[in-house]
Amino acid sequence: MANWQEMMPSTRAYMMNKVLYELHHKPDHLEAYNDDADAYLARFALPQDLADCIKGNDVAQMYLSGVNPYLLRAHCIGVKIPEDVSLAALRSLLNHEGYNNG
Amino acid sequence: MAEITGIYTASHTPVMLNFPDRIPAALREEIFAAYRAMGDDFMAGKPDALIVLSNDHLHNFFLDNFPAFCFGCAESYESPIEHWLHAKRRTFAGDQAFGAYLLQNALQSDFDPAFSMEMVLDHGSLTPLELAGIDPDLPIVPILINCVQPPMPTMRRSYDLGRYLGKAIADYAGVERVAILATGGISHDIATPRMGMVNEEFDQTFLSLMEGDDIDATIRYATDFVHTAGNGCEEIRMWMAAMGAANGAKYHRTYYRAVNDWYTGIGIGRFEV
Ligand SMILES: [Fe+2]
Repeated sequence: MANWQEMMPSTRAYMMNKVLYELHHKPDHLEAYNDDADAYLARFALPQDLADCIKGNDVAQMYLSGVNPYLLRAHCIGVKIPEDVSLAALRSLLNHEGYNNG
Repeated sequence: MAEITGIYTASHTPVMLNFPDRIPAALREEIFAAYRAMGDDFMAGKPDALIVLSNDHLHNFFLDNFPAFCFGCAESYESPIEHWLHAKRRTFAGDQAFGAYLLQNALQSDFDPAFSMEMVLDHGSLTPLELAGIDPDLPIVPILINCVQPPMPTMRRSYDLGRYLGKAIADYAGVERVAILATGGISHDIATPRMGMVNEEFDQTFLSLMEGDDIDATIRYATDFVHTAGNGCEEIRMWMAAMGAANGAKYHRTYYRAVNDWYTGIGIGRFEV
């Protein structure tokens, strides 16, 4: 049992964190993302799988990628993923072998 | 020389403001009344300044530069920073001279906090202040501890920070009466598979230890078992700091309930200073 997926963030997690952070703190970023998610995400040169899980609102995969949970939480609320949907996606990982690295 | 009028600990969660209706009205009223009771007790001490021990939730700080401890030294603080938080915007007065004193004195005492002269406080500070009904004109000094992104300072170091603060406040001549509000915890998970599964057993044991007189055992329990109580429970670092500032004063809880639908073990209490 652990509280965290990564005890030191990986570069992959850092890259995803940066997207979620800027999206909800920089003026006009959320609007740009909502207008054209692909164009917005292309600014960050993310690995494709990370861009895909952000664009697809794949909360479980974002969690497993080591994203900071507070940024993930703010993102779920900020892009209006329904509360019960994000909760169910996270809960589905409870017995996943990759959850907090076992 | 300043007198400490009260040291309080209280949970915080944005859910209280964003999704109040996820719990029954009677329970919600009971919880809000517990915060108001804390606020009344707090104001009865007639403090001239408030130290808010809290944490930033990756709003002011990001992984490009993340302080373990950060002292606020601003004239005022806007709040909230979250565009998605259902709270009315307000501006808290800052006690800049007090913040600067605590910062300079910390460095002289071999503590090395970062400092900030411009922060927008998030729900961690705003929610308990708002629910307790604390006057926004009461000057504050926010002191933020990293509890949200490993690696983080240890529980013991957070306690030591509080010990430092207790002594430095007592030596300060710039205000007469100071209250401390430590916010965060207890058991909760934010955006993890365990979200909504409050570890009440942890909370009860932790509160009992806080109420006892074995400080080392409390720090040890916090250190060794926080991993069972959720990433949000890492915020008990602020409780460690409050315990340090209290310097052996007795603690008692005034409210506790494990509220799974608000994802949080909600605990409120105070030290008999
Ligand atoms: Fe928090």
